[in-house]
Amino acid sequence: MSVQAIARGLPVVQASDVTSAQLTLKADVVIVGSGAGGAVTAYELARQGLDVLVLEAGPYVPSTAFTEDFADSLETLYEDHGSQSNKDGDLLILQGRCVGGSTVVNGCVAFRTPDFILEEWRRDFGLAEMTPATLNPYFERVEKHLSISTNGPHEIARHSQLMMAGAQKLGWSMKPFQRNVRECALTGHCLSGCKTDRKQSMLVTYLPWAAAHGARIHSDTRVSRVLSDNGRVTGVEGEVIDRTGHKVADVRVEAPRVILAAGAVQTPVILQRSELGNAQVGRHFACHPSMYVGARYPEPVYPWRGALLGTYVDEFMHPKDGGFVLEVGGLGVAEMCLITEPGTGKPYIDYMQHARFNAGIVTLIHDHNVGEIRWNGEYKTIDYRLSDQDFPSMMAALTAAVRLHLAAGAEEVFLPATERLAVRRESEIEAMVGQLRNRPQALRMVSYHPQGSCRMGADPANSAVDPHGRLHGVEGLYVADASLLPTSLIVNPQVTVYALANYVADRLLASA
Amino acid sequence: MTRTTTPTPGAARHAAAPVASLSRRRFLRTTLIAGAGVAALAGAGFAWLRRSPVDSLPPGEGIRYLTASEYHLFQHATAVLLPVQGTPLTPLSQVPVVQHIDHMIGLLPGHLRKQVGMGLTLFDNAAVVSGWHGRRFVDLETADAVQYFDDWSHGNTIQKALATLVKRFVYVAYWRDPATWGPVEFDGPVSEKWGLAYLGNAPLPDQQAVSQEAVQ
Repeated sequence: MSVQAIARGLPVVQASDVTSAQLTLKADVVIVGSGAGGAVTAYELARQGLDVLVLEAGPYVPSTAFTEDFADSLETLYEDHGSQSNKDGDLLILQGRCVGGSTVVNGCVAFRTPDFILEEWRRDFGLAEMTPATLNPYFERVEKHLSISTNGPHEIARHSQLMMAGAQKLGWSMKPFQRNVRECALTGHCLSGCKTDRKQSMLVTYLPWAAAHGARIHSDTRVSRVLSDNGRVTGVEGEVIDRTGHKVADVRVEAPRVILAAGAVQTPVILQRSELGNAQVGRHFACHPSMYVGARYPEPVYPWRGALLGTYVDEFMHPKDGGFVLEVGGLGVAEMCLITEPGTGKPYIDYMQHARFNAGIVTLIHDHNVGEIRWNGEYKTIDYRLSDQDFPSMMAALTAAVRLHLAAGAEEVFLPATERLAVRRESEIEAMVGQLRNRPQALRMVSYHPQGSCRMGADPANSAVDPHGRLHGVEGLYVADASLLPTSLIVNPQVTVYALANYVADRLLASA
Repeated sequence: MTRTTTPTPGAARHAAAPVASLSRRRFLRTTLIAGAGVAALAGAGFAWLRRSPVDSLPPGEGIRYLTASEYHLFQHATAVLLPVQGTPLTPLSQVPVVQHIDHMIGLLPGHLRKQVGMGLTLFDNAAVVSGWHGRRFVDLETADAVQYFDDWSHGNTIQKALATLVKRFVYVAYWRDPATWGPVEFDGPVSEKWGLAYLGNAPLPDQQAVSQEAVQ
């Protein structure tokens, strides 16, 4: 088959293209989801000559249609229109839901899986192949494919420059991020999609490459069940739903292999709806619960200008050092107006009036896998509450973020709580942070990294998927997304997911 | 620059997140078992008999989804939460905040809309007893209304959730409007303004550079 590169856009069958009420398709492999896991497996399998069909629940939004407006983008590009939250309603869980998935709306941050995490996976989950020696070639491959490189000086925005000075005062290690971006235009709109295709998301890399090798991509197609017969998958079924929520068609796909890459929330839901997999499916969910710690500076920072993410503190990354990371992140007014509680009325107006003087730090912790994803017959539930075991890490990360702000010259740091708690000097930190308790609605938390709900492992007693990505007990059914991660990573997971997806694709090819 | 100012379900649900996952039964259970919640609910019982001068007023023109009492609640909350007079910020007269909220409410799914309605009713009426204001939220003086928000922000779980809910609707409805961006020097969309070129798709990888053997 001739391979024809696609210079711009993607050939996607959308709901508006479907004219029949029943769509019946066949493929060698059907892949559910078009994000980090789905796109990589699609390309790696298609280029080996397999007939690949990718089904994406979300819409196809070409980059030319991105608005660079976060509120608009939540509606069009995010799961549940940006409202996906845990049962308690105090943790917003952001995931992309569009062709390209979360890779379209992430902050481009690219970390390899830390060695100490791989060590945990080998030690506790029998994943003997999860060694740097096995995975490094995969990391190198995706890093090359996605133009991953270290931020240059021009990509360190004002907010990151301030924090670097603060970290230097504190003697903390702080590094520039690696990101998957070509010729970053410094718009600061990463979370709304990169309008001019500089972010090397799946939308402009692996998906067009997969399509060039013959992979077919359908958007607006919600898979509800994986079909099976005598312990072997036979395909999937679902519905084509247009952007107004109107059902256009039923869809049924016959395929001897199915790869679920719908993300750590949807993949277990599909398995539960299909009544496939063991009792571990949906369990052990983790999500890097994050806080955005905002502060006001005496000089304008313009946190919406420049590269969204420039630098991070790695001083405390290893669990023995605290097990958390601080990432300096930019944001616009639509986000800023929600994340901090500076007080009611005049204090709030004063805070927003000086929005350009604000800067923020995102905390990430190595949370325990205490959550669970469940399909209750009508809708999904995300049962995740910050564990008492993780609360001290959250507070340690918060304390460090406040210290960094103050060292960087902040006049006032706002704790991410539902009540106004602000710190102006180092001596106040302990008392203020000490007022926080691990209770629902006490903290304002966001998760950008849902993971771990179909844990990979050798023993079905504590894992849903085997070390090669196959669902325990079902032939021909693979998982290739962040659901696989046996423990949380501490760091942004996209590169780990790319590498694991490539790894799973290779195992599938080897067994074909 | 042509830009829509119509609120979207995304912003609406984002604002509604504090109650998004509280089922009706769970919502009531949470309210009932929380100590202050009992007082609040009792207050609400009395307060439904307590009339407000705004009860006789119709909702604003063009309002499609908010009830009259919800409309007046948000009108009052907007004035309390966004005292922009005397500041460089865009006057409320130039930003149809409650109309934006109306659109956002109209885009919520049915089950969540019900919960939000229950929550707003509770928030309004519980002011009679909660804090012993003796009147509904819509009738509180500004200083008392601010105090009410602050009290609830460090109250029980349901109080925190509802105070956050009202604030989020009002804040998002105001700040998502491009008319509010100029005074704070927020740049908004920039790619077209800056004339940035589209780079298009990345070229197909050079398969020779990374050998297949290397990864198997």
